[in-house]
Amino acid sequence: MNNSLKSSVPTDREVILGILNNSEDILNKLYKAYYAMVLQFILNNNGNEDDAKDVYQEGIIVLYNKIKEGNFELSSKLKTYIYSVCRRIWLKKLSQNSKKAGNITDYEDVFAVEEDVEHHEEKDAAFVKMQSALDHLGEPCKTIIQDFYIHNLSMQDICEKFGYTNTDNAKTQKYKCLQRLKKIFFQP
Amino acid sequence: MRNDLELDAIIEDYLLGKLNPQETEAFENLRRNDAAVDHKVVSHKFFLESMEVFAAQSRLKEQLNNIHSEIDVENLASTLRPHPSKVVQLWRKHKSAIAVAASFLVLSLVSVYSIQHNTKQEERYSQMRSELSRVRNSTKDLIRTINSNTTADATTKNIKPGNYGGTGFAVSTNGYILTNLHVINGADSLYVQNNKGESYKVKAIYSDPQNDIAILKISDKNFNNLSSIPYTIKKSTSSIGETVYTLGYPKDDAVLGEGYVSSKNGFIGDTTQYQVSIPVNPGNSGGPLLDNNGNLVGIISGKPDQTEGAAFAIKSKYILEAMRAIPQDSLGSNRISSSKKSVLSGLKRTKQIEKLQDYVFMIKVYN
Repeated sequence: MNNSLKSSVPTDREVILGILNNSEDILNKLYKAYYAMVLQFILNNNGNEDDAKDVYQEGIIVLYNKIKEGNFELSSKLKTYIYSVCRRIWLKKLSQNSKKAGNITDYEDVFAVEEDVEHHEEKDAAFVKMQSALDHLGEPCKTIIQDFYIHNLSMQDICEKFGYTNTDNAKTQKYKCLQRLKKIFFQP
Repeated sequence: MRNDLELDAIIEDYLLGKLNPQETEAFENLRRNDAAVDHKVVSHKFFLESMEVFAAQSRLKEQLNNIHSEIDVENLASTLRPHPSKVVQLWRKHKSAIAVAASFLVLSLVSVYSIQHNTKQEERYSQMRSELSRVRNSTKDLIRTINSNTTADATTKNIKPGNYGGTGFAVSTNGYILTNLHVINGADSLYVQNNKGESYKVKAIYSDPQNDIAILKISDKNFNNLSSIPYTIKKSTSSIGETVYTLGYPKDDAVLGEGYVSSKNGFIGDTTQYQVSIPVNPGNSGGPLLDNNGNLVGIISGKPDQTEGAAFAIKSKYILEAMRAIPQDSLGSNRISSSKKSVLSGLKRTKQIEKLQDYVFMIKVYN
């Protein structure tokens, strides 16, 4: 397992180009390449597999967004960058849960990524806000909105999926849902 | 309510660019004239942007989750989990540090070793037996037997006995003589000769290969008991710098060698020996080493083959040990002791030698 992961580690350049070109294959390889590293770090620092998954995915998203924003400069190895970001995120989580983070066991070099992580947290706040707004929306509105905006289904598909007699009904329903969602979302 | 929904639909279509040019113009007019509509447009635009980011993020997360499900987390976690064993944990934590330390250690060991090798004189221990030619002979023998098949002549030649010599000294008045084991090793017959030139036949009755000590007993009828032993055994160890001397037979007459204790340990730190600064020669082996007060400090036993003027002497306490190993009543009452005061004490060196020389013997070895 370990070996097969390592053998398919993409080069840093491949990863950046791949992400810029929305390559699923590269994302797949990237994810598998460094997961073990973060898993080891989390497991050995008061975390479990689920924590590792969350932290690692967040770390990948930070990297992904940074590359997408086009201002990613490769000042270190990607591996170090991912490790540093995940480490930072995990340390924050530990201190939030007031778990003891006194003695962190490190496995890789670390370099300063505070800015990136904070930038990510701001974005993540908006994400969480939208997520909770959707959760408050209830069914079937949540699914309709998700299908339309996230999965990019057409009104025709939604109409069939939810059994509306015609697309106008579906549209009306969608706008009703949207109104409610906006109301929740814009609540201070 | 109905109107609101329609307005929302129009706004969204407008923002997504789905309206045709006339509708767009009409809507923009409406927007300019009605601040409330304009506000709705702006807020909806913001909302749509948020939604877009959210959508992108959600899709990415979904993608990552899909990838994650392909990984055998259980298996991976079990190998990476903190190991119950502290050693393994330590190893994992400090893998790189340990590797660096180990390679540094190896490197320094190698360099220290090579430096030592370059600077260290290859010292060997040569035992001061006067005929070291036996070794030469034996190697020659080897060569000869290898080279020639006509061994008949050669072997008859080799049978020719070689004489070796060493020094020994009396440890009791009834004829017990102490010397180095290497002096008498491999002997067929042993004789001792005193300073007057009288020879007596002796038998080896005790040997201590570890400390290289042998005790001989004069078994000659012509031997008259000696008068009481003038020297005593020193029980404590000598300090560096203490003046010592030895009397020995590197040639047919007794030779005095004088110097000082130069190190408390002998050959490559051998704690059973002293290093003394006395010029010694083959034949000195087994000679007594005495201090100014006539205390027996040790037995001359050898010298490093590349350090000039240094010799090794077995510490006196091993003499005591050797003497304890032989039947005490056979030694007689007049034996060397460690409690009495030496009669040599306070005498001039010349007087000391005069008294001493009757008790120091040349050992002659025939084989």
